[in-house]
Amino acid sequence: MRYTVLHETLYTYPDSVVVSHQLLHVSPRPLAWQTMHRHQTTIEPEPGERSERLDYFGNTLTQFALVSRHEFLNVRAVSEVSVASRGGEAQAVGSQPWEAVRDLLRMPATGVEPVTLIDATDYLYQSPHAAPSRALAEYAMPSFPPGRPVHEAARDLTRRIKAEFEFDPAATTVSTPLEAVLKGRRGVCQDFAHLMIGALRSIGLAARYVSGYILTHPPPGKPRMIGADASHAWASVFCPQRGWVDFDPTNDCVVDEAHITVAWGRDFSDVTPMRGVILGGGEQTLEVKVTVAPANEPPPIEPPPKAKGKGTPAT
Amino acid sequence: MPKDFLADYPQDPGRYDEMLGADGQPRPHWRALFAQLLEQPPEAMREHVRAIERQVLENGVTYNVYADAQGADRPWELDALPNILPASEWAFLERAVAQRARLLNLALVDLYGEQRTLKQGLLPAALLHGHAGFLRPCHGTRHVADTMLHLYAVDLARAPDGRWWVLADRTQAPSGAGYALENRLVISRGFPDLFLDLRVQHLASFFATLRDTLAQWAPRDPGRAPLTVLLTPGPVNETYFEHAYLARYLGFPLVEGHDLTVREGKVWMKTLSGLVRVHAIVRRQDDIWCDPLELRGDSSIGIPGLVDAERRGNVLIANALGSNVLETGMLFGFLPRLSEALLGGPLAMPSIATWWCGEPAALEDVLGRLHQVVVKPAFPHLRGEPVFGADLDARGLQGLAATLRDRPGDFVAQEIMNLSQSPVWDRERPRKVLGRATSLRVFACASPNGYVVMPGGLTRVAGLEDARVVSMQRGGGSKDTWVMAEGAVNAFSLLRTTTSAEDLVRAGPSLSSRVVENLYWFGRHEERCDHAARLLRVTIGRLLDDAPRDGTHGRAAMLTLLRKGGVLPTSEEALDDLALVRALRSSVTDATHAGLASHLRHLFRLAMHLRERFSLDNWRVLTQVTSSLGRPKSRAMALTDVLEELDQVVTVTTTLSGFALDGMVRDAGWRFLSIGRRIERAQWLCDTLREAIAGPEDSELNWLLDLSDSIVTYRTRYRARPEWMPVLDLLIRDVANPRSLAFQMKGLVDSATRLGEVFGELDHSGLAEANASIDTIDPVRDLVQGSERLDALLAQWSGATALFSEQLSLRFFSHVGEAGRQTAAM
Repeated sequence: MRYTVLHETLYTYPDSVVVSHQLLHVSPRPLAWQTMHRHQTTIEPEPGERSERLDYFGNTLTQFALVSRHEFLNVRAVSEVSVASRGGEAQAVGSQPWEAVRDLLRMPATGVEPVTLIDATDYLYQSPHAAPSRALAEYAMPSFPPGRPVHEAARDLTRRIKAEFEFDPAATTVSTPLEAVLKGRRGVCQDFAHLMIGALRSIGLAARYVSGYILTHPPPGKPRMIGADASHAWASVFCPQRGWVDFDPTNDCVVDEAHITVAWGRDFSDVTPMRGVILGGGEQTLEVKVTVAPANEPPPIEPPPKAKGKGTPAT
Repeated sequence: MPKDFLADYPQDPGRYDEMLGADGQPRPHWRALFAQLLEQPPEAMREHVRAIERQVLENGVTYNVYADAQGADRPWELDALPNILPASEWAFLERAVAQRARLLNLALVDLYGEQRTLKQGLLPAALLHGHAGFLRPCHGTRHVADTMLHLYAVDLARAPDGRWWVLADRTQAPSGAGYALENRLVISRGFPDLFLDLRVQHLASFFATLRDTLAQWAPRDPGRAPLTVLLTPGPVNETYFEHAYLARYLGFPLVEGHDLTVREGKVWMKTLSGLVRVHAIVRRQDDIWCDPLELRGDSSIGIPGLVDAERRGNVLIANALGSNVLETGMLFGFLPRLSEALLGGPLAMPSIATWWCGEPAALEDVLGRLHQVVVKPAFPHLRGEPVFGADLDARGLQGLAATLRDRPGDFVAQEIMNLSQSPVWDRERPRKVLGRATSLRVFACASPNGYVVMPGGLTRVAGLEDARVVSMQRGGGSKDTWVMAEGAVNAFSLLRTTTSAEDLVRAGPSLSSRVVENLYWFGRHEERCDHAARLLRVTIGRLLDDAPRDGTHGRAAMLTLLRKGGVLPTSEEALDDLALVRALRSSVTDATHAGLASHLRHLFRLAMHLRERFSLDNWRVLTQVTSSLGRPKSRAMALTDVLEELDQVVTVTTTLSGFALDGMVRDAGWRFLSIGRRIERAQWLCDTLREAIAGPEDSELNWLLDLSDSIVTYRTRYRARPEWMPVLDLLIRDVANPRSLAFQMKGLVDSATRLGEVFGELDHSGLAEANASIDTIDPVRDLVQGSERLDALLAQWSGATALFSEQLSLRFFSHVGEAGRQTAAM
């Protein structure tokens, strides 16, 4: 599948911002199954300093700073990318029993290539948004009966999260703790991804957070609108034999051609699409518009002006 | 034999004794001190102990205890007797500590680089990945001289057989070296001859090495000496005293996060004259709080972009960001192999036996002997107190075992060691010594010639007799540590000097905007305290003298001023004497009440932020008054006692202005302090005089001269009862009177001109106009009670100074209150 992705972030500030430092994770990651044809990030006002590098996790990171007064900040990222199938639901079949994976990760000494395991243990412990807990372990356990292959069990957990939690953009914010999500049974894709990651870490498995986009479908007969989508997030689970397999608890599926991968890390804080520190600005407003359009479709159209909202919640 | 002074000194064969050998006789290196204690008259030691207490208090040596309800500052506990180490023993410790520092630095550099130690199985990945102090954004950063660990401290303890063991490593931002230095200054004075006789090694060259190494390794701008700053989280930190102390000792500006900014990947300090490049940072702030952009986003004390500046090699940070990762007992078990692999030889000094429960075999072993070990969190971010298995009953042990099985990777178990004991002078019962558990913190710093160990250290003693843990947070004390030299005492440094003639600095460019702002407000508050004390003193004096209650003798004016200052309730109701006395007294003694006590508290807080700018003499004077007033009073004070306190405050403010006049370099900082004082004084004079001339017709004017400290001047000039015209002339027009308005206005105009010359045009037309209008006063017509023209002029002058204050603030101050904030978008 070939896509064009537009990810636009617009901050407007009632008071001038004096200094702004920002980090961007908006450039899709080149992968065995994902080819990047073109990417461009445009920043307005033009920053005096701007640099690009790979972060600790191997994602492309753009860093920039604005040190002259400004009243708005607009970041427009356009990507053209092709995603090949990774094998669909079959990816979840045929992994090692989950206890064996847990024991290997706990004492990564025997049998397996240590370097792969060292890479995986990076995702085994607490991180700012996904700390293991007893409650999360208890939530995970029904999906992990003795001897069940780790990816099959994770697939089941994916299904349960979708079935037992309600999608509700009003229920949570970026800083809502996992316990509250678990208790309230509501949230958005970040929450479900964190929940799944936290649950897996709580029983000794390595899980990482993947940030990206997903193809959505406009209502039947309606054209695709610009800005109708949002950034997306899901979880990835490690098995020493099969490697990392991605699961989407928001949509109850194994991740495949409809998902575009931007970056991965331990949780949201490692790969926040746009993270920064500003001085000044006052009560800012934020508008985020994401458009994911298949290349074989007519280009999406601008929505009617009145539909302009305060940004779309993450899916 | 000195039976009496050792009468209560326990002799326990299960402990090593630092002073006495197995035969009960003093060890050879203790003999000289022992003999002196025996020979000298009892008063000598008593005097020594008192001198220590006085110096600790007056030098303001404090240590903040987080859980202390008494407030932040607690005097530093320092024992009168030093801990003495012979040269032969020191040679071993020095070698072992330097080796360990080298090993830990190699491990750090590897963990933040190639991670071969993980790949070869020398260290478990859990140590790195499970440690919240592993800062992933700092991975891959290259460090000059491959050094991340610049300053290292290690806590040592001695086993019953006399061997030394490592209890803990400090790799983040080790504290204590400054306290050790201060201990030395205090204790060596008590035993001046002995100190020389024993050839105790000096500490100064260690600090010189640290300073020179940083200067040598820091990135350089051509033709300029590198600037090193000391970064502190601020006065609430437990060891803030030490930050300020070291900053002053090493000559580094003391900065908080707000003082620094990152531009184009370089670090800059905000100063009066604009941004000044910073080349090296001695970091006393935990690294996770250092950069809200890449580390903890909720840090309001960080510097956005600092990680990137370090990554680009544009600033040297000591210790490097991320160095906290080696602070874990989990490391201990792996060090012997690591030493063989990285240094090619055995570890010189063992670490206390420690098992990480994340290893299944270790867990089973620990579970089998829980009653013999102490269980601690494996990482600093896992909060929790050490649990001694021996303290638990069967149920408690079961519970502990269950916790360990549930989260084995979160815990280490450690062998319990009987710490050695050393003699501590008993302050309650003179001429007695007590035995207290002892540990020794030793410091090392990196240098081009390898790690250099400070010949001395911070000896810490337990507060209680049977304590198993020695901790300053738990009420322990400290000792000076004397290391005897083998040959001559040596203070030689191999480093090249880094200051050349062109580096000599006249007016410090390193004056940060925050310091300037604080100096300005210090000047204003110092003056405010002075005025408040004088106003209260005169008011109370009049009450005691039974002056008329009808509003004359300044009573109406003074009560109005007290009302405006919030000391008295604003209602127009007449106050009876009792209510008046109560209100006046609480404004002196109660800092929650508006008035003097709260002004003094504010002044002290500002002084804390300016700590490194004050001389010790200056500081001593300041603590005298704040500590006496800050002490909670058991009963209501008599008015005469209150008067005495007020006299003391006035003495102190006078002394402080004397220091400012005589002891401060005339740099921009001094200028701001002096502007602050003049603005405050001018405004106060205007307010007071307006009330005075508006009051009921009054012919008793001594109060006004008293308030403005001009009574002596007046008497020597006029030798007559005060009358309105000469009094007002003296207080308004007389440029020679440092208490007059003309004096303040002229000084402010001069200062504004001088600032303008240095920093570019500064608009002060309001001040100049006000100054000029003083000359338009017609003494006969205007200098009378009830003059409307004079009232209008006073209002104009007061307004001009307020406007000038605002202009200064906009132009020069850093606006400390404003913090950057985090933003995130999906």
